[in-house]
Amino acid sequence: MEPKRPKIPSNPRVTSRRAMLRDAACGFGYLGLAGALADAGLLRAAADGMGARPLAPREPHFTPKAKQVIFLFMHGGPSSVDTFDPKERLIRDAGKPLPIKRPLAFDDQPPGPLMKPFWKFRQGGESGIPVSDLFPHMRSVVDDLTVIRSMVGEGVDHGAALLQTFTGSSTFTRPSMGSWAVYGLGTENQDLPGYITIKPALSHGGAKNWSSAFLPGAFQGTAIGHSGLKIEEFKDEPIEYLVHKSFSQEQQRYELDMLQNINRRHAELRKHDPELEARIQAFELAFRMQVKAPEAFEVERESDATKKLYGYDREVTKDFAWQCMLARRLAERGVRYIQCTHSYKWDQHSDLFRKHTQNAAEVDKPIAGLIKDLKSRGMLDDTLVIWAGEFGRTPVSQGGDGRDHNPYGYTIWMAGGGLKPGFVYGATDEIGYHAVEDRIHIHDFHATVLHLLGFDHEKLTYHYSGRDFRLTDVAGVVAKKIIA
Amino acid sequence: MTRLVSFSFALVVVLLSAPLFAQTASQVEFFEKNIRPLFANNCQVCHNPQMKTGGLDLSTSEGFMHGGASGPVVDKTNPVESRLLKVTSYDERIKMPPTGKLSQEALDALRAWVEFGAPWPGARQAAEKRPEPATREFSEEERNFWAFQPMKEPELPRVGNEAWVQSPIDRFILSILEEEGLEPAPPADKATLLRRASYDLTGLPPTEQEIISFIEDDSEDAFDKVVDSLLASKRYGEKWGRHWLDVARYADSTGNDEDHRYPYAWRYRDYVIQAFNDDMPYDQFIREQIAGDLLPVNQPGQVNRRGTIATGFLALGPKAIAQQDKKKMLYDVYDEQLDVVSKAFLGLTITCARCHDHKFDPILTKDYYSLIGMFASTRSFKDPTTHVAKLLYTPLVPEEEYAAYTAHQDKIDDNKIAITNVVDEQLEGYSNSLSPKLADYMLAARKAKDGASVDDVAKTNGLDAKILGRWVEYLKPGAVPQPHLTEWRGASADDLEEIAQSYQQRYRERLDEWHARLAKWRASVARSLKAKNMPPPMKPRFVPGEDRFFHEVSLVKEGPFALDEEDREKVFSREARDKLAELKAQEKKLKETMPPEPDMACAVQEGETVDQKVFVRGDHGSPGVDAPKVFPVILEGHDQQPVATGSGRLELADWLTRRDHPLTARVMANRIWQGHFGQGIVRTPSNLGKMGERPTHPDLLDYLALRFIDSGWSIKQMHRTIMLSSTYRMSSTVSDKQNAADPQNRLLSHFQRRRLAVEEMRDGLLAIDGSIDLTMGGTLQTGFGTDRENSNKRLSMNPDEINRRLIYIPLRRANLAPLLNLFDFGDATTPLGKRPVTNVAPQALFLMNSEFVAARARNLASELLNDDAEDDPRRMKRAYLATLNRVPAPDEIDAGLSYVSRIQQRFDDTTADIDAWMSLCRVLMASNDFIYVD
Repeated sequence: MEPKRPKIPSNPRVTSRRAMLRDAACGFGYLGLAGALADAGLLRAAADGMGARPLAPREPHFTPKAKQVIFLFMHGGPSSVDTFDPKERLIRDAGKPLPIKRPLAFDDQPPGPLMKPFWKFRQGGESGIPVSDLFPHMRSVVDDLTVIRSMVGEGVDHGAALLQTFTGSSTFTRPSMGSWAVYGLGTENQDLPGYITIKPALSHGGAKNWSSAFLPGAFQGTAIGHSGLKIEEFKDEPIEYLVHKSFSQEQQRYELDMLQNINRRHAELRKHDPELEARIQAFELAFRMQVKAPEAFEVERESDATKKLYGYDREVTKDFAWQCMLARRLAERGVRYIQCTHSYKWDQHSDLFRKHTQNAAEVDKPIAGLIKDLKSRGMLDDTLVIWAGEFGRTPVSQGGDGRDHNPYGYTIWMAGGGLKPGFVYGATDEIGYHAVEDRIHIHDFHATVLHLLGFDHEKLTYHYSGRDFRLTDVAGVVAKKIIA
Repeated sequence: MTRLVSFSFALVVVLLSAPLFAQTASQVEFFEKNIRPLFANNCQVCHNPQMKTGGLDLSTSEGFMHGGASGPVVDKTNPVESRLLKVTSYDERIKMPPTGKLSQEALDALRAWVEFGAPWPGARQAAEKRPEPATREFSEEERNFWAFQPMKEPELPRVGNEAWVQSPIDRFILSILEEEGLEPAPPADKATLLRRASYDLTGLPPTEQEIISFIEDDSEDAFDKVVDSLLASKRYGEKWGRHWLDVARYADSTGNDEDHRYPYAWRYRDYVIQAFNDDMPYDQFIREQIAGDLLPVNQPGQVNRRGTIATGFLALGPKAIAQQDKKKMLYDVYDEQLDVVSKAFLGLTITCARCHDHKFDPILTKDYYSLIGMFASTRSFKDPTTHVAKLLYTPLVPEEEYAAYTAHQDKIDDNKIAITNVVDEQLEGYSNSLSPKLADYMLAARKAKDGASVDDVAKTNGLDAKILGRWVEYLKPGAVPQPHLTEWRGASADDLEEIAQSYQQRYRERLDEWHARLAKWRASVARSLKAKNMPPPMKPRFVPGEDRFFHEVSLVKEGPFALDEEDREKVFSREARDKLAELKAQEKKLKETMPPEPDMACAVQEGETVDQKVFVRGDHGSPGVDAPKVFPVILEGHDQQPVATGSGRLELADWLTRRDHPLTARVMANRIWQGHFGQGIVRTPSNLGKMGERPTHPDLLDYLALRFIDSGWSIKQMHRTIMLSSTYRMSSTVSDKQNAADPQNRLLSHFQRRRLAVEEMRDGLLAIDGSIDLTMGGTLQTGFGTDRENSNKRLSMNPDEINRRLIYIPLRRANLAPLLNLFDFGDATTPLGKRPVTNVAPQALFLMNSEFVAARARNLASELLNDDAEDDPRRMKRAYLATLNRVPAPDEIDAGLSYVSRIQQRFDDTTADIDAWMSLCRVLMASNDFIYVD
């Protein structure tokens, strides 16, 4: 039986976060968060008097291998059999029909014949991992990479594949991986957002790919421009509303002091409302952010040698070099999760040779530059770099000289962050269509990334709409063999 | 992801003790219940008779016995060493299933089954049999759950302080406060109350004039009059319609993958606004949104225009239209429709029962599929089978009128085809005439490249100079590699001739092939035009990758053998030119006489009736028992007459709006209460189930729900009932005692201060400086489909740059405006019963730095300064009245004026006055006093 009338029914969770808010040194309040953090076993931070500050740094479940993530996203889906996954049989049997039943494809036309890779593979570094001539610069750092040749996803269209890659679900609105990371770990630098995505794609799910969904809004990715913009168009105000258009800082401080006087008078007349103080503090934090954040985006300050290393001195590599240098600068300043996007260019349903050549020319050097730079600064040890598309491409041709989408077995690589360097994991079948050895589903990939960040993916949960949600839904196995 | 039902441990013990290899009934049951679904859901995607990945088929006993390429998967002599167990253990190199390790329950079941000999019920017909979902008995606790009980007329509680009671509502609130020894807060002052009521009902602040006249109105019913006039304002529907659009997860595009526009979504939005303004009875509002297209109309043959638009409620959800598994796409859409219906009207999370019975509420998987059948029998797509599924647009005019319109459109299309045919035939003739000279052109281009002038080479070889010039250009090596020209470029002088000939030969063959394809297409177009009702087939497209050389030479605009538009005159025959002129004149005439496009809606339609089955574990590839169209058993019992004909939407609407439905009226009364107090009587407004909260005042909830029904489901009457109570008119001040006893104010000892929603903040600021555009309705969005991947048009329009109320600014689901994300708007994708309230620094940046707020502050400042009649203290008073809707205290006026004069010194240009006042106005607009409503 239901009690006829609950006697001051209350939720102990909420009471405790109220108390915490009151005690919080900084009062940067997000109501309701502390309880969720407690549920996820992350309330150690509360003891530090920061319980209700959503972005305060927090300890994960166990000692992390990686403290931050840089995700280099190749939107469109680079071909694995042309880059990191050499297949002798494709050369031998080029022109012959596909020997297996084609799984669900994006194309609704019959598949073309097997098509040989357009580039020669050569072994790189001491590890001897083969990389095709499409990526000579990445080959030069292959000893630092962990090449995973057995990724598996479910989406055969871009939207489903992006959403699953970034949120775990192609069907429902779910928080993105970066949001989970910042929810779990907070961030190191309170003057910058904890989760930044540089030039993200507006298509194929758009902002859903960096959204916090039902997690508190503070864990949403902050977009810096978008893939349709040139860097010049947004670099002066990388974050929305960051820059005051007419006041000097001194004038603004003066205005802010007046605002805070009015707010304090207002709060004194209204007792027992911690929200009011929290909002006063939010303005102080905002003021600090706008003073301190712009410096992080001043990529031009990098030395000539560094610019050269990333290819910032050449037109073809300039855009992605800017992104990669910015990613390093942000990582240096304690931003927890950073994503760079090479815009929707890799989708070669035809003309793969030409277009992949152009694409590779734009990203190869900047990416190798980033790896070298992180390494020389000692940052690669605790920074996890991920290079991935939303899927790979088919071993059979499409449109004569292109390839269709292939989520059934494709290659990504990761580097740093406690992984085995110069290591190859997993394998696809003889033609590179299906992953057959050490298959790693996107859920497993997510579980592995969370593991590297110090989380048991089954325990990093958030209670919403009557149940506990997690990044890996009800699946996910950590790929332990790739961890050093 | 699918999940296995748990199985009884006791059963395993029994089975394990059974003699090896003998198939007992319990073993068969164990297999059917645990192992077959496990294989079906986790293994048969690859291990089926068609694909047989690794040589293994796990869908039949034969396939299983046969095993895979590396032999049997079960070792009967040494079961623990079975390959099946090894690969599923995830300890080995090969890990199955690749989508993720099986649950421990599943692994235990598998192990148990292997250990007692892996008996696979032999008969073939067993494969047809699907496990029955349990129609379990409900526990007493489930049956007695409060929300499923009939509403009961409560007794009006007695209170000590009768003088406080202005409405029966007050009795429910006060009696409990008195029991707890708490005093209700004193009444709010008049300015505060007016500000509260204005934002609550219209989402806008009161004007200076309204404030003054309310303060000066001493009559008893002064506040009654205010409430009535606010309810009569058109602004009311814009405020409360928005509450409903949150619940209805309204947006103007499909979201998910391709984010196609819903070009007519706005009609549904306008419908909702009007329904609130007209105080449409809520039961009718429900009926129209679920089955409005099926409701009768006055005139036979007419379309139920309003009802059709109303079904946008079902039609406007997120859709993954590029999903290639089309059945999955459809069932995801049905799921989404059921989700919004069950959360919005029932306050239940029924879609949790898609794969298994609801974990917390007595909702069975079968209940879920019984309801899903209604949406599966409803059309939401024009064509769900196309590569990117086509959205459904419904004409709002009678069929004949629409047919006349499309017939005219068809004429234009046919005419277009006729034009294409003439042009194509001429172009084909042109390419045919050039193709024998291709080798000549290539060779001549080589000569020109080696230094000779193009004109000279053309003349000596009898070639066209312009065409030759283009050949020279084309054959120049560019930045991008052209593998199809490698042979030509690498040819030695001796071989040139021969290689040029081979290029010409291949070109000729390809040209003939291509022309044959076009001819075939023309023939079939002619046939379909003759047959009338058949749409003409799509024109074939040459796939460039099939022959880049051919494509670049002939079909690319700058190709050497492509014909420029302006050269057509020279090449086309006289006859063809005349024909073209005639057809173009015809086209012009047709376009001029085109009737206007009939009004359309994004709505649903009745579809083919589907006899829905339960999908085992939610897998649409595993149909189980029948799920006839009935309502959840916990509410309606087992003895129900299933819907016999049609989708069942009408029956669903009838069922939901029954006066004795225990949920419908409670859910809405609770939403209305929440709209005034920030929290509902049940604080989880879209979940009245077990995982939701319990009502703080259950009797009050029933009282309100019953009055709601009595009033003819009048929402406006509910507002009056609530707002004219003492409870609503309390101040927001909190005493220490109240705070200590009830820190969450669950007993409502005072009014709960609330932050303005993003609409109220933004529209309010636009109202304060007078720049708001109060035009109602219509759409700001144009076009169909989507935009290029990297286009700015993928973004939602920026509300900072538009002065209409926020509700009228279209929402592109995939990329909502940053302002909305910043201020807790929600995702416009999942039904939102209550917006969260976050308090983060980037919100402060908006108020400090945005051009939008600066413009509001500047406008207000210049209005204050332009009024010559005013002195500075009076200006200060007006600034407070405009922004904070109250008269400032003397110390506030002093502080403000002193700020203005001091900051003036910091601007040393001539506009200092306006800058200083603007700064002050911005301070007021950014203040807590503005953003919170007391």
